Amino acid sequence: MNLPAPNQWTRRLIILLVLGVLAAACGGGSGFEESGGGDQAEGGGGATGGSDGGDAGVSLQLMGFSSSPAEDQELSKIIDGYNEQSSNTAEFNPVPDYATTLQASLAGGEPPDVFYVNDNQIPDLATANTLAPAEGNIDNPDDFYPNLKEAFTFEGTWYCPPKDFSTLALQYNTQLLSDAGVEPPTNWDELRAAAQKLTKGDVVGLVLGPEYFRWGVFNEQAGGGLTNDDLTEMTAAAPPNVEAFDYLEQMYQQGTAAEPSDLQAGWAGEAFGQGKAAMTIEGNWMVAAMRDGYPDLKWETAELPEGPAGKGTFSFSVCYAVPQGAKNPDASWDLVNYLVSSEQMLAFTKQFPVMPSRPSLRDQWLEANPDLKAFLDSAEYARSPAWVPGFQAVLDQLNSGIQGIAAGNKQPQQVLEETQQTGQSVLGG
Amino acid sequence: MNELRRRIGQSEALSGWAFTAPVLIGLAVFLLFPIFMALYISFTDWNGISPPFQAELIGLQNYKDLLVNPGISRLDFAISVRNNLYYVLGVVPLQTSISFVLAVIVNQKFLRGKSFFRSAYYFPSITSSVAISLIFLFLFTQNGAVNKFLSVFIPGDLDVNWLFNANGVIHNALGVIGIETAPGFLATHGFLGQSWWEWLAGPSVALLSIMILATWTTIGTLMLIFLAGLQNIPVELEEASQIDGASRLQHFFRVTLPLMKPTLFFVLTVGIIGSWQVFDQVFVISKGAPQKTTITLAYLVYREGFTNFSMGRATAVAFILFVIIVIFTLVQRRFVNPDEV
Repeated sequence: MNLPAPNQWTRRLIILLVLGVLAAACGGGSGFEESGGGDQAEGGGGATGGSDGGDAGVSLQLMGFSSSPAEDQELSKIIDGYNEQSSNTAEFNPVPDYATTLQASLAGGEPPDVFYVNDNQIPDLATANTLAPAEGNIDNPDDFYPNLKEAFTFEGTWYCPPKDFSTLALQYNTQLLSDAGVEPPTNWDELRAAAQKLTKGDVVGLVLGPEYFRWGVFNEQAGGGLTNDDLTEMTAAAPPNVEAFDYLEQMYQQGTAAEPSDLQAGWAGEAFGQGKAAMTIEGNWMVAAMRDGYPDLKWETAELPEGPAGKGTFSFSVCYAVPQGAKNPDASWDLVNYLVSSEQMLAFTKQFPVMPSRPSLRDQWLEANPDLKAFLDSAEYARSPAWVPGFQAVLDQLNSGIQGIAAGNKQPQQVLEETQQTGQSVLGG
Repeated sequence: MNELRRRIGQSEALSGWAFTAPVLIGLAVFLLFPIFMALYISFTDWNGISPPFQAELIGLQNYKDLLVNPGISRLDFAISVRNNLYYVLGVVPLQTSISFVLAVIVNQKFLRGKSFFRSAYYFPSITSSVAISLIFLFLFTQNGAVNKFLSVFIPGDLDVNWLFNANGVIHNALGVIGIETAPGFLATHGFLGQSWWEWLAGPSVALLSIMILATWTTIGTLMLIFLAGLQNIPVELEEASQIDGASRLQHFFRVTLPLMKPTLFFVLTVGIIGSWQVFDQVFVISKGAPQKTTITLAYLVYREGFTNFSMGRATAVAFILFVIIVIFTLVQRRFVNPDEV
């Protein structure tokens, strides 16, 4: 090595270089925040210019997911309406892989101003102390379906107003039913008979996804359920649940009911749309899915058949939540209030066959969607599936068991007893 | 003089550190810190939502839930260890042997279209694993290409629903010779909450499909590594063994194979690590279904952390996975022993 000893200059150069790299790295970081702040200042500035004096608006981000470009468009229209009448500027940001993105942004301490939350995530998010309570921030808080409001309430605190909701109902292929001379079934016996009659050739009577969010409606109709109402005791292995699962197992074994994968379909709607199954149990999303994928299919929807204990179904909902420690809580709630106001909710749900979560909009929505009455009528007795933090593991276990029953290698009794045990350790511990 | 040397040494050390600083800082920030943070998290009950350092320290609770305390966490862990173990035991030998054979074939001097075959075998490795997984979804459907192809050899119409079949292949094989249910001891005794009969189920048909997919995508890369190793063997050795009168087979087993030991060790190590960490194929194809028979440890980490909101337990699984990989690599090292050529 014949390198000359580094003189003062080279040494300084090296130090400068290192400092430069470090400065660049740090500078990048702080530059980020500055630009974020800059945006806000800009939004505020623009708004002060346009609105009534001192009320400086802020920019708000609404994070959510979107099922279709059409839904994006419709929501963007409503957001544009908000931006026109408010000093705030809101923006809708649909993200892929929503649950993971939301979790990361909450953990990172910089959550969006308003975001969607699924009803079954409320227990986990509420326990983690991430959501601001909604009480007092929403106009007409009593004009929501009680079971939906209940779904977004955890340990006595109501966290967020439901955006809209869907219920599970029975869809049937009108052509196949009239060919076989079958009326839409209204109780379990009729459902079994109808499925039997409709099963011939390549067609199966009923296609049903092997998961609790489908099978569970039969438990409801039998008067069962996974837990008691206080969520303190598991009731999974109780007789009504066994009865419901036995009923379904029989249909699968007779071949009058099938999993979507048995029919080479990704989900029940696909098998139904392709005419491989005469009936299925799905929610409001079927409307858009059938319209886009199988526009020629003739189908109708009816309330689910009654079980031994009467009617029962599930409803699924999403709410607009504001994070705990939001930067601009007032502005965030202002946006939420606008989005769940009767006028905007109706405008949004009319176009999409999801249903308004405010009962007062019932008749207006029905006028626009008369053929979807069954979905809305189901709301009267629907239950929102939400349990306690950590319950997802129990559902995973149960779903795995349900797959086993459908495939014919597990017994209902055994599956429900395993679920009972697993669940009790989650509820108890 | 000494003084001068000392000062030169000092400034050389300084510039040494200065030049390596960017990389060292990068490693510390993006590698060491996350690892130690994850280790810390595995001792907390962090839910993955609230700020991580507010989470409560719960000592070894997560590890106990996975390894000792009866419950759903231990059962899921046992199931994923079983699945993953069969996955590794199937994929590693298969991909290593196939890629070695392929490398030997395309290394032949007088093979026509050598470069075509080399590119063809390597092609799956440069394609996105998500895209390949989606194509396999179609190949393995009930009336997909795989069933059609097999129907040619097997009488009758084959309608195996590959990706939705949860039956273990060992159970299936035992079923053929008439053993349908567990013999007493296997059913009543078990390990980690799973009966021995369940441990012995073998990979499910669905997992088997994923194993085939994984083997097919990795053999290209491994073949390339073997090829590089083969080409490192001096031609003189071949000539020398020919002069000494060795047959082709003798040459292969006495000269080529021993010289390939370091490469073999490398390929096995990479294969074992990669197979224990399989995630993307499972995520795209099955998400753990049917009946949890395709949950692997890496997928369990994801599921616990991101859908079950127990990041603490998820990181604990990750560290146990780390230990498993280290053990497997060490055992494998004993067998192959790359230093003893």
